[in-house]
Amino acid sequence: MKQLNYDVVVIGGGPAGMAAALKAKDKGATVAIIERNDELGGILNQCIHSGFGLSYFKQELTGPEYAELFINQVAAADIDVFLKTMVIDLSPARQVKAMNDEGMLLFNAGAIVLAMGCRERTRGAIKIPGSRPAGVLTAGLAQRYVNIENRKPGERIVILGSGDIGLIMARRLTLEGMQVLGVYELMPYANGLYRNIKNCLDDFEIPLHLSTTVTKIIGHPHLKAIEVAKVDENFNVIEATREVIPCDTLLLSIGLIPENELSQKSGVSLNPRTNGPLVNEDLETDQPGIFACGNVLHVHDLVDNVTLEAEQAGAAAAAYVLKQTNRQSTNEARPVEARTTLSLSPGENVSYTVPAKLTVPLQHAARILFRVNKPLDQAEVVIQAGTKILYQGKPHAFKPSVMEMVALNPEEMIHLSYTKQPITVAVQAVNG
Amino acid sequence: MNHYDIIIIGGGITGTAIAHECSKYKLTAALLERGTDIGIGATKGNGGVVHPGYDPTPGSLKAKINVRGANSYPRLAKELNFGIINPGIFVIGFSAADEAVLRHKLEFGIKNGVRDLAMITAEQMHNREPHLATDAKQALYAPTATVVDPFEVAIAFAENAKANGVDILTNQPVTAIEKRTDGSFRISTANQQFACSYIVNAAGNHADAVAKLLGIEEYQMKPRHGDLLVFDKDMKIKPQTVMFPCPGPDTKGIACIPTVHGNTIVGSTATMMDDKEAVDNYAPGIQALIDGVHKILPELDAGKIIRTFAGLRPVVLDNNNDFFIAESQTVKGFIHAAGIQSPGVASAPAIAEQVRDLLDNAGLEMKPKSDYNPYREKQIVFSELDVAKQDALIQQNPAYGQIICRCETVTAGEIIDAIHGLIPAHTLDAVKRRTRAGMGRCQSGFCQYKIIAILSRELGLAVDEICLEDQGSRLLCGPVKGGAK
Repeated sequence: MKQLNYDVVVIGGGPAGMAAALKAKDKGATVAIIERNDELGGILNQCIHSGFGLSYFKQELTGPEYAELFINQVAAADIDVFLKTMVIDLSPARQVKAMNDEGMLLFNAGAIVLAMGCRERTRGAIKIPGSRPAGVLTAGLAQRYVNIENRKPGERIVILGSGDIGLIMARRLTLEGMQVLGVYELMPYANGLYRNIKNCLDDFEIPLHLSTTVTKIIGHPHLKAIEVAKVDENFNVIEATREVIPCDTLLLSIGLIPENELSQKSGVSLNPRTNGPLVNEDLETDQPGIFACGNVLHVHDLVDNVTLEAEQAGAAAAAYVLKQTNRQSTNEARPVEARTTLSLSPGENVSYTVPAKLTVPLQHAARILFRVNKPLDQAEVVIQAGTKILYQGKPHAFKPSVMEMVALNPEEMIHLSYTKQPITVAVQAVNG
Repeated sequence: MNHYDIIIIGGGITGTAIAHECSKYKLTAALLERGTDIGIGATKGNGGVVHPGYDPTPGSLKAKINVRGANSYPRLAKELNFGIINPGIFVIGFSAADEAVLRHKLEFGIKNGVRDLAMITAEQMHNREPHLATDAKQALYAPTATVVDPFEVAIAFAENAKANGVDILTNQPVTAIEKRTDGSFRISTANQQFACSYIVNAAGNHADAVAKLLGIEEYQMKPRHGDLLVFDKDMKIKPQTVMFPCPGPDTKGIACIPTVHGNTIVGSTATMMDDKEAVDNYAPGIQALIDGVHKILPELDAGKIIRTFAGLRPVVLDNNNDFFIAESQTVKGFIHAAGIQSPGVASAPAIAEQVRDLLDNAGLEMKPKSDYNPYREKQIVFSELDVAKQDALIQQNPAYGQIICRCETVTAGEIIDAIHGLIPAHTLDAVKRRTRAGMGRCQSGFCQYKIIAILSRELGLAVDEICLEDQGSRLLCGPVKGGAK
């Protein structure tokens, strides 16, 4: 088995992996990217719609264009890229076992950045009753078929779930001449970004049915129809509203799950709220030297945020390795720092936070990312440790589909290393 | 037109076990399966438990056949190279009334010849299954019980039968059968005709319909439907033992079943149906399964369900819930292997022997072949090899270095092997059953397009012609506007 040594090994060559690798390289580390597909770019390659890069590049790009800017930088940056290479095992000692069509590979890594992305929830996860025919597929797979393979999944399409991929696909399939009959959403609000509701559904007169779900799949061997029904506030089906809709394709856009099977092999603990690794403010997992970023950490709505997060992880991974190397070369004992780890947890109306822990005193400003668990028209972020308020933001509207970010600066946090109070992030409704 | 000594109608685990048995003798035989693959009826809609034989009433046909069949599984697994595990079974009592039922089962089991059965205490159960419900009081323990993948067993039977000279033909729905004046049979399928001296009817839920083609109306059948759930391999709490609750009158109850590949199956419900094609999942059934398993393992995470499926047990009505294995009373040379409901998987090898004896009695000379090869070569399973072997294999053939299914670590090489196997895989699900590609937690969301591309390339078909399973289950429907052909 071939052995390879790198300061930083990045697993995954999508937007997160590329940004992390570039930043780690920039900080002076030797870097490899391991990518399972035959090209870099990840899922961006099939996201041919525009809307990417507005915040990071200040211009509107398509997915492949956004990816290309990074692919070109990686090509110019003396980063070793292993394509069509699959990681099959990962040890706490940061050994990465991988394979490609030349053989088995063992990477010895000073630090690892997990950037494997996420996968789509499937029909099985939500247990839709009925038959199990051809014609039921996830929105991302349909996107692959239409945008890369040039194939149509069907002619008359129903979409379950108002996640962004589903909304984007509603427009895409319409433009390709298929008939999108409607988008059905269990929740009383849409899960995708407002701009996608507007641009992908409203502009094409595709109906969005809230508080409605698919109750039965009908037809064998191919999908012939679905049964839908409205649900009450407890998600129980309202019997009188059952309705059969003839169609030949059901697209599922019912959520994304960070893909952490590999992370767990290395002993990384997961946050049950995100299904991503538990990380600190440097995006380091509870396995030293293993970092995580992008959708493997938590599902993002904008790739621009993935890039920012990945740059932070890449820099931290490089710093981790270079600190270790310097210490060995100068044979100095590590300076003793009295640092304390505090838990960071979601409070009122918040579904999760990343990171889930902070090491204080902070050495730099900490980016706290979170989402609300229901829409709030007028509310404010309140971050507090015990009764002490660390941050209180300007009131605005919050939606579960939009990730929120607050930066905590080190000065405000200094005294926390003494009080050791756990920190909560809440979003509280504001009257008036 | 080919004349065979025997034609077996139905390529489920029963039909393929019979084909396998027939392949040991100097005779000509063919198996006709209506579907696109072997083992896609009741055989795939099954939890895979090889029931050891404490259920059937002593003295019944089922009792005799069940125990003998189950006992032959460890040997067959070695010879035919299919997966098998030996988790044992707990039949769990929750009350004093249950204990009486369990003791009754124990008595049945001992009479039927099941080995090593014992009553065990709550403590003994909890030692093995620490997450078992605390109100579980005692259990009947059957340590010899095994679990298999029934469709893998059917494929193994069929492949070994084929290697020993039996023709295994798929896409052959039987449309007519005629008894000729010379005593032979003429069988018509959708596009072919066959002649034979003996027919074995192993048509599962359709056995009565097949018999009726010859005017035989010796029994009526109805399916008993069951919903089942598949759970992710990755669960904090999962069973090590097959665990049933103390049974009710019609069903063995809802069990949790560790599988050969490390998943957990929960199944199954039992509802008599009229429609023989009604393999839907039903919402109340799914809920009953979740509620049922929680009585045994209260902490089993229902959020880890990756798939629901269903099966139809073929039940011969008014037959004391027994199998119907006999030569027709009205048409000589027509053998029924019908009503093979639970424990059909366990019984299949012994049913095949029973059918062999019936054929012998009916006048067919059964002379053993000297060149019969009982062994089936194992397909390459990349993920089961050690690193050195994996490396060597990739050097030999780079297709084994290309992972297609990331959830189950299945390589392009294994998929190509399946497509060109002895019983070739021509559909997405046929590939899945042989290689596990698409059986993992993403349920082929990532690999479906790759597998379709390989099937298309290897079979010389357009991607739009590739089917999920049955004819008419095409996965794609043509190019997008201006898309490549």
